[in-house]
Amino acid sequence: MNINEMKAKMTQAGYVYDDTLATTLYVALQLGRPLLIEGAAGVGKTEIAKVMASVLDRDLVRLQCYEGLDESKALYEWNYQKQLLAIQLGKEESSLFGEAYLLERPLLKSIRSEKPVVLLIDEIDKSDEEFEAFLLELLSEMQISIPELGTVRAKTVPFVVLTSNRARPLSEALRRRCAYLYMEYPDVEKELAILRVKLPHIDDRLAGQVALAVHALRDSDTILKKPSIAETLDWAAALDALGKRELTPDALRQTAGFVLKNNEDLAGLDCEDLSRKACCGTCGEESHPCEGHCHG
Amino acid sequence: MDDPKVYLEKLTAFSRMLRLEGLALSPKETEDAAKLLTELGMGDRKAVKTALRTVYAKSREEQIAFDRCFDAFFLSEEAMRKQAQEQAQREQELEENRRQAQEELQLAGKPMDLSEKQRETYAAMPEEARQRLRNFMDKYRGSAERNPKLYSEFIHSVFTRTLLEQQMLLENAGLGGEAADPDIGILYRDISDFRDTEIPKAIELIQAVARQINGELAAKRRSGGHGGKLDFRRTIRKGLETGGSLHRLKFRRKPRRRKHLVMLCDVSGSMVQFSEFALRFIQSLGEAADSSRTFLFSETMVEADAFQLQNMDRFRSYVKETGIYGRGTDLGTALQELCSLRPPVLTAGSTLLILSDTKTIDFPRAMGALAEAKRLAGRVIFLNPIPEKNWQYVRTIQATAELVPMIPCSTLRELAAACRRL
Repeated sequence: MNINEMKAKMTQAGYVYDDTLATTLYVALQLGRPLLIEGAAGVGKTEIAKVMASVLDRDLVRLQCYEGLDESKALYEWNYQKQLLAIQLGKEESSLFGEAYLLERPLLKSIRSEKPVVLLIDEIDKSDEEFEAFLLELLSEMQISIPELGTVRAKTVPFVVLTSNRARPLSEALRRRCAYLYMEYPDVEKELAILRVKLPHIDDRLAGQVALAVHALRDSDTILKKPSIAETLDWAAALDALGKRELTPDALRQTAGFVLKNNEDLAGLDCEDLSRKACCGTCGEESHPCEGHCHG
Repeated sequence: MDDPKVYLEKLTAFSRMLRLEGLALSPKETEDAAKLLTELGMGDRKAVKTALRTVYAKSREEQIAFDRCFDAFFLSEEAMRKQAQEQAQREQELEENRRQAQEELQLAGKPMDLSEKQRETYAAMPEEARQRLRNFMDKYRGSAERNPKLYSEFIHSVFTRTLLEQQMLLENAGLGGEAADPDIGILYRDISDFRDTEIPKAIELIQAVARQINGELAAKRRSGGHGGKLDFRRTIRKGLETGGSLHRLKFRRKPRRRKHLVMLCDVSGSMVQFSEFALRFIQSLGEAADSSRTFLFSETMVEADAFQLQNMDRFRSYVKETGIYGRGTDLGTALQELCSLRPPVLTAGSTLLILSDTKTIDFPRAMGALAEAKRLAGRVIFLNPIPEKNWQYVRTIQATAELVPMIPCSTLRELAAACRRL
């Protein structure tokens, strides 16, 4: 697959991308390297893995990381109940530590799959450092060692996507094994394009105002939790469901809970000012004549 | 240009340049980059930049360093011409400055005793800074006739100190840009540079990292080996899970040595922000010690309780109420007071953490008191908020580091690394 074919498939999957993102994904694919994506929460890191699964026509295997995640949850576990039953029934004709008693977890599943998959290791920064070290063998050699079975080599090589919110620094060893992408919040044009693709039925002027308002909120130093792309979409859908065609201060007050998710941010929100910023940004356009809603 | 060898040669030089910028690269990255260039060609500069950045840079910080190197290495024709022109102009200016410096750096008609590097620094200094030094010389010229030796020594010491500070500024040039970049993770930025709006985010981060370190320390303790004796009760209980067969033996745990932490924090004007963060961090580390006591000092010392450290505002108002805020630093007095407390605070089982930049009045007395504290406490660790690369310019740091282990803690990341060593 060349880069143009990949871009075409991403468009087909309804994903809005820029050249930097497409080139980075292509490079990671070409080199067969895992892709480490860092960025603030809600910029669309996880979405990339889903889109790549669709572009490459592969299954998505997801491992959600959390504090205390260990190999029994991520890699494999022995089926103790089955082993006990086998002992009690006297059926242990072969080793109790054979494939029949192995419970596959996401990492093992991804490398033993007959068809290559996309492996998403989500929020790696939430896991412990020991788990990070444990991943190194898988990421560089595409193999894992199970003491009772020996080394399990990958039947097929998965496309690995790791995401991190930078809650803590990741080790150099892990970084060196990955291609790297840093994602920022989309600019107004890209956000608008996303709104148009994901919510095609929404009035274009309202979509423009929502994109501008979200941009203003993200730029504001007083907002503690910046709105994510998913929240932008939820907000636009809520405004549309209420039959709003314009982001007036009233509409903003009614739906602010869809875009701001903590009390301090909601209390400090100046609806008039935000509505003015959002509406006036689209007033100048010929296709969106100003209705004078906020000019006096 | 389809031969990968041609690319390899160029990319090897580029990799060397990136390594000088602090990127840790292996030959594998150069090989990957050559493979990519063979496929992409050099036609689309933007695509080449993105592709190489993906291969070479592994963090946001490295991406910024990469962009700088790429723009300097893979020049467009127009940029090349412009750069050559600017370089020629710069050389000319520097030559002129050197000539001027030769004339200016003289005392009583003789050249000053300065190293070649110091002379170069003087030549590269901005005109206003040079003018300040010249004015200074003129101001005290009257005393040159009364005591030429004293005048010459005094002027020389002022010049040397100013040039050292200037050298430090020049070496730090360019770092400011990165620090101001909001995309640079808050973990990597100087704690004293945090803006007020970033403090809630930093606190959240501290809590997350502290939780993680607590988990790691607890796991380390759990896996720290056993006392050697079999614990029958726990072994039999565990065996019930596997139908009564004793698959896994359980051993008695080693008795734990209780750790006691004593923190001595400098809260004089420049240190207060760092101390707030560092204290909050260490206080969040329940696993690092079984008990802790915190003392704050500037010219005098007071003890703070855990309640005062829970909230930033409460901490600040407490520091102001005690009257130690905004005063000078006297590490010697604080350490002497600490050593003389009864019942003793510093014992063989305690670790003394000193959070200070070592800048104190009466430094020799402070060193004496530090040696005494080191004798009394089990361990003494100095957490210093001055970046390690600047230590060479501060004599007090060098002297202190010879006496006790010193850990740089200018960023939250370094602070986290230091806490892991507790």
